[in-house]
Amino acid sequence: MHRYPRWPIHLALIGVSFVMLIPFYWVLKTSVTGENIFAYPPSILPKAPHPFYYVDVWYYIPFARYFLNSVVVSALAVVANVIFNAMAGYSLTRDFRAKPFVLLLFLSCMMVPFQATIIPAYLITGKLGLLDSYWGLALPQCSTIVCIFVFKASFDAVPRSLIDAARIDGLSEWRIIWKIMMPLAKGAIATNVILGFIWSWNNFLWPLIVTRSAEMQTLPLGLARFLSYQEDTTGALYAFCIMVLAPGILLFLLAQKEFIRGLTSGATKG
Amino acid sequence: MSDQDGVTPLWRKIIVNRFVLVPATIAVAIVLWNLYVSTHDHGVVAGRVVDADGRPVAGATVVLWVLNFTTYVEKTRATTDSAGRFVITDNDSHNIRLAAEKPGIGRSARVPVRLYFRAQDVELREALMLSGAS
Repeated sequence: MHRYPRWPIHLALIGVSFVMLIPFYWVLKTSVTGENIFAYPPSILPKAPHPFYYVDVWYYIPFARYFLNSVVVSALAVVANVIFNAMAGYSLTRDFRAKPFVLLLFLSCMMVPFQATIIPAYLITGKLGLLDSYWGLALPQCSTIVCIFVFKASFDAVPRSLIDAARIDGLSEWRIIWKIMMPLAKGAIATNVILGFIWSWNNFLWPLIVTRSAEMQTLPLGLARFLSYQEDTTGALYAFCIMVLAPGILLFLLAQKEFIRGLTSGATKG
Repeated sequence: MSDQDGVTPLWRKIIVNRFVLVPATIAVAIVLWNLYVSTHDHGVVAGRVVDADGRPVAGATVVLWVLNFTTYVEKTRATTDSAGRFVITDNDSHNIRLAAEKPGIGRSARVPVRLYFRAQDVELREALMLSGAS
């Protein structure tokens, strides 16, 4: 039994959810009607909805190619994120002399915006011969500090005795990560997958700089290209936005339980 | 390990979960859609031309325009038979317009036709109606 009735909280949450969903609904509605978004009074329900703006987007630009590029780059970034961040996160749960310095370095690096490091990132990518390639597109997103700390928080929640037992049984540090820690960190993995995917999927600036050929462009660049092509873009533009957003929303909905668990793991002790 | 884990076969645990079922459903839908597209993309646009009284018009010229980026350009022409029917077989667009004309009878409005994919085979539901002598 709850001491206080919970319906006011639910009512408030429903109200907040409704307000937050309105922009998504509006984008969806405009994508099937092409209505002028500045029309007054606005129509709440779509009038004569049709899917043809989606068809237009599919054919106006090489959407399938851009989609494939985004999928490949995001997949590379996600896999690399999980592997590298897990290794870094595990190392930060160990005790070593420079650990406070490394933690401070990581935290301070979070304050440096990507725009400030884009020139060295470009030069390094160029030296590696990865410009205009999938690996070059994914490289700066192969590890993110936020996700390292997500893994660290998750690994910190694992009892030290379990790791000691594994070590006594003869497991190397490498195998402790993959055999002991990772199966216990599904929430952190889901968080890494979702955040890595969304950041890579939505990234605009880095693909803009590192790609040279139209065949290597990703969806955000396609959106910019699409805007430069079309004058009357209302319906098709919103359809494009839905097509770009849909995979990320689907992934989040699929893994939201693990995502929330990953974000909150390590938030409380005991 | 719960009792449920002991009873459920491994293959079922791997396959019957949302991370497999949702992508699999999407993949099946994509395959079915592509099968449908591949069997209905011959570029056939068919329809009828009638006069203001609804009678078929033979020998009318039907013009097909396709969207060329921002403007519509003429793609092809066809002529109606004795029943007023026309068939265009080389449409390769998804956004077309049709109009019919016959000297002495009149011309129709330019009718926009939106298709779900390029070169979709389509039979116009409403006939092109000629009105006003040209």
